[in-house]
Amino acid sequence: MEKNLYHNRLLQWLVYVVFFAALAVIPLVMDDAFLLNQLATYGVYGMLALSISLCWGFGGILNLGQGIAFGLGAYGMAMTMQMQTQDPEYSPIPPFMLNNGLDALPAIWEPFWNTGFGIALALIVPTVFYLIFGGLMFQARVAGPFFAIMTLAILSALATLFVDLQPYTNGVNGISPPAALDIGGFVIDPYMSTSYWVVFALLVLSTVAAKLLTQSRFGLIVQALHNDSERVRFLGYNVAIYETLVYAASGLIAAIAGCCFAFLTQYVSPAQFDVGFSISMVIWAAIGGRNSLLWAIIGAFLVQGAQSYVGDEFLNSWILILGFSFILIVRFLPGGLGGLAETLLGMVSRKRETQESLTVGAGEPETRGA
Amino acid sequence: MDFTLASFVNALILGLSIGSIFLVAALGLTIIYGTAGVINMAHGEFIMLGAYASYTLQNYLGVPFFLCIPLSFVVVALIGLVIERLLIRYLYDRPLDTLLATWGVSLVLMQGVRLIFGSDPKYIQMPSFLSTNIAAGPISVSIFRVFIFLVGIGLVAAVWWLFYKTEFGIKLRAVTQNKEMAASFGINSGQVYALTFALGAGLAGIAGSLFGVLNIVLPTMGMGYVVEAFLIVVTGGGALLGSILASGVTGEAQSIFAYIFNDTFAQFLVFVLIVIFLRFRPQGLIATGGARR
Repeated sequence: MEKNLYHNRLLQWLVYVVFFAALAVIPLVMDDAFLLNQLATYGVYGMLALSISLCWGFGGILNLGQGIAFGLGAYGMAMTMQMQTQDPEYSPIPPFMLNNGLDALPAIWEPFWNTGFGIALALIVPTVFYLIFGGLMFQARVAGPFFAIMTLAILSALATLFVDLQPYTNGVNGISPPAALDIGGFVIDPYMSTSYWVVFALLVLSTVAAKLLTQSRFGLIVQALHNDSERVRFLGYNVAIYETLVYAASGLIAAIAGCCFAFLTQYVSPAQFDVGFSISMVIWAAIGGRNSLLWAIIGAFLVQGAQSYVGDEFLNSWILILGFSFILIVRFLPGGLGGLAETLLGMVSRKRETQESLTVGAGEPETRGA
Repeated sequence: MDFTLASFVNALILGLSIGSIFLVAALGLTIIYGTAGVINMAHGEFIMLGAYASYTLQNYLGVPFFLCIPLSFVVVALIGLVIERLLIRYLYDRPLDTLLATWGVSLVLMQGVRLIFGSDPKYIQMPSFLSTNIAAGPISVSIFRVFIFLVGIGLVAAVWWLFYKTEFGIKLRAVTQNKEMAASFGINSGQVYALTFALGAGLAGIAGSLFGVLNIVLPTMGMGYVVEAFLIVVTGGGALLGSILASGVTGEAQSIFAYIFNDTFAQFLVFVLIVIFLRFRPQGLIATGGARR
C-alpha cells in the first residue's frame, strides 16, 4: 500500500472534483463578460499545460513544439468560422483572398463549408500530423533533447509556411472571422458564459480522459518509458508505438485547445506558432509540476494569472522574474509545485505513520508495509 | 523565372556565404554540445550579447570594429563562464534539464538586455571598405560576406588547432570520451567543462559581432539563430567536421531553393528535408563512435 497521501487514488479524484467544482462556481457568481472570456482563455492554457504534462511528465517526451497542434487546430476552427459567414452564391470567397488576388476559393478551403466537417478536420489534421511526424522520429529512435529540437524546427517551419502562403492564410495578419461560432443554431458567443461552459466542459473531459489514460495499462507502459525506455524495449514492447500514441494524444488535446482559442478570440495568426508561446506551455507545466496533470493546469493558471495581474506596466520585470523562477525550479525543484506538495504530504504521512507504529508497539514492523 | 548561368552561380556563391554564417553561428554550440552534452538554448542570446557588446564598445568607447570582434569574444566568454559556474555545472548529468535551464537563462538575458538597451534597433558600423561589392563580370559578392566566410575558416582552424595541437585539447578530448576515466588520470574535468562552455559562448560572441553588422541589433535577434544552429549540430552529428559539412550543405540547399522559389519557402523545405534526413540517419552526417543519441 502507498503511504503517501499524495499517491492515494481516491483522494486524487476527490481533489479533481473539488478543483473543477470551484471552476464551475465562477460563472454563477460573476457576470463580467470580459473577465469570463479571460478566464476561459486560461482554461485553454490549462488544456495546453495538461497536454504537455501528458507527453512530457508521463511519457518523458519533451515537446517544445506543442504550438504545431495548437496552431493547426486554431486555424482549422477559424477557417470553419470564416466559411460560416460566407455565402455559396453571393460571396463564396473570404474578403482577404480577394485582396490577395484570388478569384476562386482554394481547394483546401472547400471542406470548411460544412461546420461539422471543418471542426473534425481541425482535430484530425493535427493528430494525424503528430502520428506521422512522431512515428517517423520515434521509429528512428530520435529521443530526448533531439526530439525537442526537431519539434522546434517543425514549429518554425510551419510558422514560416503560414506566413508565406499569404493568399490562403492571410499571412501575418491572420484570419479574423467576423461572427461567433454557430454549431447547428447553438451560438458560442465569446463574451457570454456559454463559451466559458464549453471550454470548461472540454477541459474537464480532456483532463479526466488523460487521467484515465495514465491509470490504464497503456498509461503504465508509457510511464515506464519515462523511467527507462531501453528497459521497456528489452521487455519486448514496441516503444515507438507507445511514444507515438501518447504524443498524438497530447496533440489531440492541444488541437482541442486551439479550437477553443479560435472561437474565444475570433482571431488566429502565425503568432499561435510562435516558438516562445510553445515554450511557455512547457514553463507552465514545469512550474506547476509536470508529473501531475492537475498541477500542470494549476501552473498555467498561476503563471498566466500572475502575468495579467502585474499588468503591462511591469511586464518587463515580470518576464525577468519568470525566467529566474524557471531556472530555480529546474535547478532545485524538478517536480515543480506538485513535487513540493508530494514531498510535504509524504513527510506528513510518514510522521503520522511513525506515531501509529509507536502506539501499536515497535515489535511488529513487518505489518507496516502490507 | 529565367535561368541564367550567372544568376545561378551567384546563388551558389550566396549559398556558400549562408553556409558560412550557419557555421559561425553553430560553431560554439557544436563545441559545447559535443564536449559536455549540454543543450544550450541560450546560444542565440549569447550571439545577441556579442552584438550588444560590439555595439557598446563601438558607440560608447570608440573601439574600432576589428578590435570589437575579439573583445566581444572576451565579454561573452566571461558571461558564459559565470553562467556555467552558477548553474550549468550542476546539471551535467541531466541533459534535458540543461535545455530547460538554459531556456530560462535565455529569457533572463533577453529581458535584461531589453531593460538596459531598450527594444529599439541598434546598428554596428563597419569600415567603409567592407560595405562594397566585388564584381567579376555579372557575378558580384559583398565584401562583408567574404569577410564572414574568411572569419569562419579562421575560427575553424583555431578550434582545430586548440583541439588537436594543445594540451588543453588533449584534456578536452579525454573528458569528452570518458569523463570518469579522464578524472582518474588527474584531469580536472569540471575545469575543462567550464573553459569549454566559456569558449563556446565566446565564439557565439564573435558570431554576434558579425551578425550585428549583417542585420540590425535587437534583443530578440538570437531567437532566429538558435533553431538553425541546432539543426546544423544535429544534422552534423555533434562533431566539428559534421557541423562544417552540414552548414555547407544546408546553406547551398537554402540558397538554391530560394533561387527557385522564395526565401521563406526555401527555409521550410530545408527544415522538412532535415527531418526526413534524420529519419534515415538519426546519428547525423558524421557519427561520433557510432553512439546513437
